[in-house]
Amino acid sequence: MNESEIVSRVKKAAGFVLKIDPEQISDDANFVFDLGADSKQSVQLVGALEEEFGVSLDEDKALAVQDIDSCVKFVAQYL
Amino acid sequence: MCPRNLTDVERQSLESRGCTAQDWRQVFVCDPFRPEQFARAGFSGRVTLGSLEGTVPGPGGMPLACGVYDSNLHECAVGNGVRIAGARRVANYDIGDRVVIEDVGTLAVEGETAFGNGAEVDALNEGGGRTLTMFDRMSAPFAYMLSIYRHDAKLIAGMQEMIRKHVESRKSARGRIGEDSRIERCGSLVNIACGPNATISGALELREGTIASSAADPSMVGAGVIARNFIILSGSRVEDGVILAHAFIGQGVRMGKQYSAENSVFFANCEGYHGEACSIYAGPYTVTHHKSTLLIAGMFSFYNAGSGTNQSNHMYKLGPLHQGMVLRGAKTGSFSYMLWSSVVGPFSVVIGKNMANFDTENLPFSYIDGDGHKTVVTPAMNLFTVGTKRDSAKWPARDRRKADKLDPINFDLFSPYIMERVLKGMAELRDLYEKTPKEREYVFYNGAHIARLDLRTAVKYYEIALKIFLGECLVQAIDECGGAAQAAKKLAGLRSGKLGHWVDLSGLVAPAGKVVAMQADIASGKLGSIEAVQKRLEEIHAAYAEDKMVWFADVLASQGVELNNESMVKIVTEWRDARIKFNNMIAQDAKKEFDPATKIGFGIDGDQAVKDADFEAVRGTFEGNKFIKELAKDSEQVAIRAIKLLESITSPVPTN
Repeated sequence: MNESEIVSRVKKAAGFVLKIDPEQISDDANFVFDLGADSKQSVQLVGALEEEFGVSLDEDKALAVQDIDSCVKFVAQYL
Repeated sequence: MCPRNLTDVERQSLESRGCTAQDWRQVFVCDPFRPEQFARAGFSGRVTLGSLEGTVPGPGGMPLACGVYDSNLHECAVGNGVRIAGARRVANYDIGDRVVIEDVGTLAVEGETAFGNGAEVDALNEGGGRTLTMFDRMSAPFAYMLSIYRHDAKLIAGMQEMIRKHVESRKSARGRIGEDSRIERCGSLVNIACGPNATISGALELREGTIASSAADPSMVGAGVIARNFIILSGSRVEDGVILAHAFIGQGVRMGKQYSAENSVFFANCEGYHGEACSIYAGPYTVTHHKSTLLIAGMFSFYNAGSGTNQSNHMYKLGPLHQGMVLRGAKTGSFSYMLWSSVVGPFSVVIGKNMANFDTENLPFSYIDGDGHKTVVTPAMNLFTVGTKRDSAKWPARDRRKADKLDPINFDLFSPYIMERVLKGMAELRDLYEKTPKEREYVFYNGAHIARLDLRTAVKYYEIALKIFLGECLVQAIDECGGAAQAAKKLAGLRSGKLGHWVDLSGLVAPAGKVVAMQADIASGKLGSIEAVQKRLEEIHAAYAEDKMVWFADVLASQGVELNNESMVKIVTEWRDARIKFNNMIAQDAKKEFDPATKIGFGIDGDQAVKDADFEAVRGTFEGNKFIKELAKDSEQVAIRAIKLLESITSPVPTN
């Protein structure tokens, strides 16, 4: 899977959880400050990413991810 | 000779000092006796006076002379070194040594009374049916059984009979003020028993009550308090306009700032300020500090109420029968609301207006959020919050009780009681995940909603907690047995038999099998007194660590795990990794306290540099935070401990 596909699918997962059009999400968007994610949505986002990519993410490292860019890099480690 | 009648000279001297008596022959004194220690005192009935030599300390250390001044005593026995001044009516009391009674309107016993013992309290269920008959040795687990186990008629009858006998033993037409107590600036105190070293200062009206107290753990009832049909146990302070009616105040409780409580019980270390309690069962460490907070018809323990917290049991048809169960460690956020009947699982946080009747008993550590007309539960979300970690550490440190602790309290964050719910929750969530189509955003769960995407994540979170607890059990076993092989051998021999599932009797965490056995002994009369039940409760509490091992052995057996080097290495490794992960996740939660959003309002008159500098000056840095440092240290110690444990498992020291 190439990086642009990962970016696209990360945005899709984020958009689904945060009820935002993925097209409106920038590559460097911060989940909390730019996309308005609260702590509960952060947990749902982990679930959404796991389903989207069929992986099991490390719980504490996943919660440390702050933005789309770092999320893409984080998810890529599991693919 | 003591006591003796007055001599004629002494009587004349007293009369010259404005003293009167209904019959001077009924006034008895002890030597050394000096008439100068009396002025304008009136005596009626039989009055016995101890030696009233010396002084008692007054405000600012001012020495106040012992004696009886401007007071009227009827049928009283006064101890040595007592000062009674400005007490208009003191009747039917035995007054202990060194007691001070000053500026009191009425202190009297009127007829036979049990001093609040035997008064009925409709706690938990406002409409009755769980009525507690309170008494001055009532512990939280005793009251829990009496309130909750109404299905067992023989048990309830046995407990009621014990209480009846105890209440009988307290009945008297005379009251007692314990030695070294002070009763000052009070209005009307009728049918009040007061233990040693108590202070009643500025109370407006106390009627039908006991204030237990001791030198080791004195109690205090303060200014403006109005209390009727009440019991206050040792080490408690009730002050500043508190209003009590049919209320039990356990040991080490703090109540003030105009709190009002009716038909409610509060056990060890509860705190109530500003708000209102109506028909609540407040287990140990129930805390409510804020105005507009109403706790009604609920059971709580280790609970913290946010401001404006409210519940309602009024959507009823046949009376206010509904009740709420808020299990240990839960919190409610500001202006949260819950519609009873509902059950809040342990260590959960409730926010928003919850209009649904929900039950999250098997989803501990959840966020429960009223979202419109639905309640949304995020299971396991509260496991990794700073608050949960800090709460569990602060409770034992804040145990104010100093002596004769009535409530056996288990402070553990993780226990078999919690882990049984974790295991059930995991099974339920897994099942829901497998059965729910991916298109569904929410699943229904016992009256609440759970986001489907949370199901799998919550299971993973619960697994972390479970691995930590199982690891801790093994570490405890290795420590206690002096080695891994010995621990494995011991655990292999343990099976629960009749221990069964675990329950939380309002602070006492215990296997149900032991509780059931105790209840059978109460029902049969084998345990026939409150003291005997208290002793059994303490024995059950003391056996917790041992019973926990039995539970651990059972869980291993149920999972098909045989303890050998390989499985022990796995458990210890998982414990280490889970514990460090747990700490890391809590640190992530704490890090939010240093996000830009939390800096809003800091450095209000400056630029960004000023904002940052102001924030750092006030709140410090994430890295420098004491709590964060402790988490990091804990992770280091766990890693070191794990290395040693793994060495001891794989390379055991030979033993004979």
